[in-house]
Amino acid sequence: MKMIHLTIDDKSIIAPEGTNIFQAALDNNIYIPGLCYHPKLSQFGGCRLCYVEVTERKHTRHRFACAHPVSEGMVVKVNTTEVNRHRKTVMEYLLAHHELACPTCNKSGECGLQNIAHELNMSPGRFKTVRMSAPVIRDNPVLELNRNRCILCGRCVSACKEIEGVGAIDFQNRGFKTVIGTAFDRPLDCSFCGGCLAVCPTGAWQDRTLGFSGRPWEFESIPTICPYCSVGCTIVLNTKEGSVRRVVSNDKLGINEGNLCVKGRFGHEFIHSPERIKTPLIKKDGEFQPARWEDAIEMVSDKLKQIMEKHGGNVIGGIGSEKCTNEENYLFQKFCRTVLGTNCIDNISNMKAPFLNGLLYKSVERGFFTDSLKGIENANTLFFFGVDITEAIPVVGCMARKAIQLNSANVVIANPRNIIFKNTAKNDVRLTYSLGSQHILLNAIIKVIIEDKLVDLKKIESSTSNFSSLCSSVQNVSLSNAEQLSGVSLEMIRSAAKLLTKPGNCCIVYGKDVIEDPLGEDTIKTLLDLCALIDVSNHSDIHPGRASIFCSRYHNNSQGVNDMGVVPEFLPGYVDINDAANKEKIEKLWGIKFSGNIVSKNSFNLIDLAKNGNVKSLYVMGADPLTEYPNGNEIRECIKNIEFIVVQDSFMTETAKLADVVFPSSTFAEKEGTYTNTGFTTQRLNRAISPVGNAKTDWEIICDIAKKMGQSFSYREIKEITEEIKKAAPVYSGFSYDRLRRKEFHWPSLLLDKIGSNKYTFFAIRDKSLKVKGEKEFPLVLITGASMNHQGAYSAKSKALVSVAPECFVEINDKDAKDMQIKNGDMVMVESRQGKLKMRSKVTRKSPSGIVFVPDAYVNIPINMLIYQEYTPVKIYTVLDN
Amino acid sequence: MGEINTNVAEDETFDLSKAESILEKYKHIRGSLIPVLQAIQFEYGYLPEKVIDFVSGELNISVNEIIGVATFYAQFHLQQRGKHIIKACSGTACHVKGAKQIVEKLSEKLEVHVGDTTKDKLFTLEEVACLGACSLAPVIMVDEDVYGQLSHNTVGNVIDGIKS
Repeated sequence: MKMIHLTIDDKSIIAPEGTNIFQAALDNNIYIPGLCYHPKLSQFGGCRLCYVEVTERKHTRHRFACAHPVSEGMVVKVNTTEVNRHRKTVMEYLLAHHELACPTCNKSGECGLQNIAHELNMSPGRFKTVRMSAPVIRDNPVLELNRNRCILCGRCVSACKEIEGVGAIDFQNRGFKTVIGTAFDRPLDCSFCGGCLAVCPTGAWQDRTLGFSGRPWEFESIPTICPYCSVGCTIVLNTKEGSVRRVVSNDKLGINEGNLCVKGRFGHEFIHSPERIKTPLIKKDGEFQPARWEDAIEMVSDKLKQIMEKHGGNVIGGIGSEKCTNEENYLFQKFCRTVLGTNCIDNISNMKAPFLNGLLYKSVERGFFTDSLKGIENANTLFFFGVDITEAIPVVGCMARKAIQLNSANVVIANPRNIIFKNTAKNDVRLTYSLGSQHILLNAIIKVIIEDKLVDLKKIESSTSNFSSLCSSVQNVSLSNAEQLSGVSLEMIRSAAKLLTKPGNCCIVYGKDVIEDPLGEDTIKTLLDLCALIDVSNHSDIHPGRASIFCSRYHNNSQGVNDMGVVPEFLPGYVDINDAANKEKIEKLWGIKFSGNIVSKNSFNLIDLAKNGNVKSLYVMGADPLTEYPNGNEIRECIKNIEFIVVQDSFMTETAKLADVVFPSSTFAEKEGTYTNTGFTTQRLNRAISPVGNAKTDWEIICDIAKKMGQSFSYREIKEITEEIKKAAPVYSGFSYDRLRRKEFHWPSLLLDKIGSNKYTFFAIRDKSLKVKGEKEFPLVLITGASMNHQGAYSAKSKALVSVAPECFVEINDKDAKDMQIKNGDMVMVESRQGKLKMRSKVTRKSPSGIVFVPDAYVNIPINMLIYQEYTPVKIYTVLDN
Repeated sequence: MGEINTNVAEDETFDLSKAESILEKYKHIRGSLIPVLQAIQFEYGYLPEKVIDFVSGELNISVNEIIGVATFYAQFHLQQRGKHIIKACSGTACHVKGAKQIVEKLSEKLEVHVGDTTKDKLFTLEEVACLGACSLAPVIMVDEDVYGQLSHNTVGNVIDGIKS
């Protein structure tokens, strides 16, 4: 890229060609006043405040910095008498209109308009003030729009359209009557990401969750990591007097560039929810009684010791947490493996898909994760396979839209539903496949790629192994059969194959719909084959294109809990527990000897063991298997057989209700540690407030019990645990807790530096397909998935999120609804052979005919109670609404 | 290609077939919003809310953006308009000659405010800046016909004439 030399206010700077003066100044910490320009958004040029004096090609003129590109030898002056005179006049106009409500405006103190008025020392203007008196719009629970404070800079309109892809607001009317608003003055209908609020330079958009509980200058700002989905956005907690008052975003921090979703920005109220468990609870005669910490710890340690003496440690099961930090999960598995002497540990993500860890680690070794999630922004082709980006990982959607905007990326979306992903891509191919046909669809794409020679076959042959098996396996794929089974036309398959193999970076994201399919393992292997095909073919010295593949996991630390070895077959860092040398190494580090009874079978299954009555006690840290495990009835049956259950949680979850002892654990805002996101990036949490009530962090609780049981778990701070993780988990060996303050840690890149990427061996799995159909009595097929608005107990206890999305719903195709005489919004019963649940109907074309969709994120509607197999048949009928 | 319209029209009695055939023609052409809106206004007489929702889903443009465009241009109307459009001139010459009284009289006779349509959907009353017929001031235009040199006594006759 050509670099341009210019001078702004006597400072020589260099900027890439095509940059505007405003951005060049911003990059070099030179201040130019302005209210409408925003680095994340397209240039608008509406506020007229960034007026500067520009001398180029021997002419001195006045220009708007945001709308004028830099040129070689340009001299810019930001503060001349003439420039300031102009700026003051513009401000006079703006202030003549603006509702000067600074004393009661929440924006006061961080308001762009107020700051510039102050800088320019504005006095009462010459113009007659005509204040607007538009009514304040409060038609939704989280955002308030006061158009009397709006200066029509258009930032919110651009943010909504460009970043979120929604376009929930726009300029309405013309001239003096122009306002920001919705069509026909309808209530705001959007994802409530709050992007408008984040970019607004005045007090027009307000955060309703803040209310009037603090002023910007009173807040302490603590950046930390969002506790909801697996993207790992950086959020900034604003605290006052020891409580979290609001969440803001910072464009300069984290992988999300200040973009958040509704959960991240408005879902913080659970931290101070009155429903938090504040003291330890011991169940006596079926009722929970508050207890002192010492008593509860003593009781648990005594009881666990008793059980160990009677049956041995391996009858105790441990379920780790996808929501707790890496450090806590590390200690948890160490506690289970050393103190309790059991290897009967697991976490819910691994229970759902036990094959995933091995596959992910293998693909890391083969060099498919050269980049963090942010790499999506560099993609030229995006392939979303079986993942509802908008609902499951919304901020990845923002990154993808950035790729579409910057690199004109193409989009291929394969999903059993017509998912919504608003974008402006020139090519946006949607492959809506029938359930059970994902594997054959993928094989058909590979067949087209190989047969039409869309990739460099010779190169692939020479630099990979087992390519011939792949060729022969796809030879057997019948395209017409694939077309028929998947319901995707051959034309679409061909265009998808063409887009996927275009030169440049290809980014594949797969998710729940793939993983939790009966053919999930085979499909992921085939996806890796596809990724390898593209990667090897696209990558050369001239074309540095790469293919990368990401798995969309469910919780904030679903990756970390597996990295830390809270799974039966791996010690921390994917070290095989059956390997004697590894075992010895870890025994030395932990200073113990694994007792002979440590079970280390690969096919080890906590649920199976529990079902057979082989689990006498269960220790659950920060998980709610009763609502999260796919088969709700099965897990309920298992838990019934268990005599002693300990739960550490912040809320009284369904699992906690069945416990004998519940320890109150602190939430993310009250602790330090690290989370590893779905793109393998490890980021650091910062403690914002002291624990609520008598709650303790999960690691402190584990240490207390371990100590009581006579083991030395004498960690004083998080850093001591991270130091130990470095030694125990080879993949975390380059990890430094202190360095995380400045830069996030991405272990696959470091691992690759060490081992170099291996030659890829194709899995070459023959195409398979399933017939997924309803039954006579239960004609519809149920699928579940993520919701943008909710995720477990945290969101259910956040008032704002509950008011944004109060009710669980079932999505029914309009044709099916018509046949069943169900109208949109009717109260219906969803019934399977296992049970029934009442919820609202949502008639839409999102779900194809024959399929109904229910989000699995609402804790009050435990949809897993209906599920007894992948794709459970259900029936739906209307019921009375009460 | 692209996202399919997942919205389901709730009121099936509304006739969307005209909009469907318009969109058939323009659906795959980028930047065709204004021609689509013009064609819809031609067919329906205005831009009905339900049609706009349908267009939004089919063109994959948010309804807010469409209405943003529609409210920017004076040529688009979001309310059903009368069979006859009365444009009362309020230019300088007409103003001097008593245009204000003419508008008041029309408003009184038709029982509508400026910009609104009568209950029987026969007339829409609008005020315009200049019709370019200053020599005939004060002047009104009903559809394509110009009526000049009016007074507040005679303007009613024009309406009666059209009604009969």
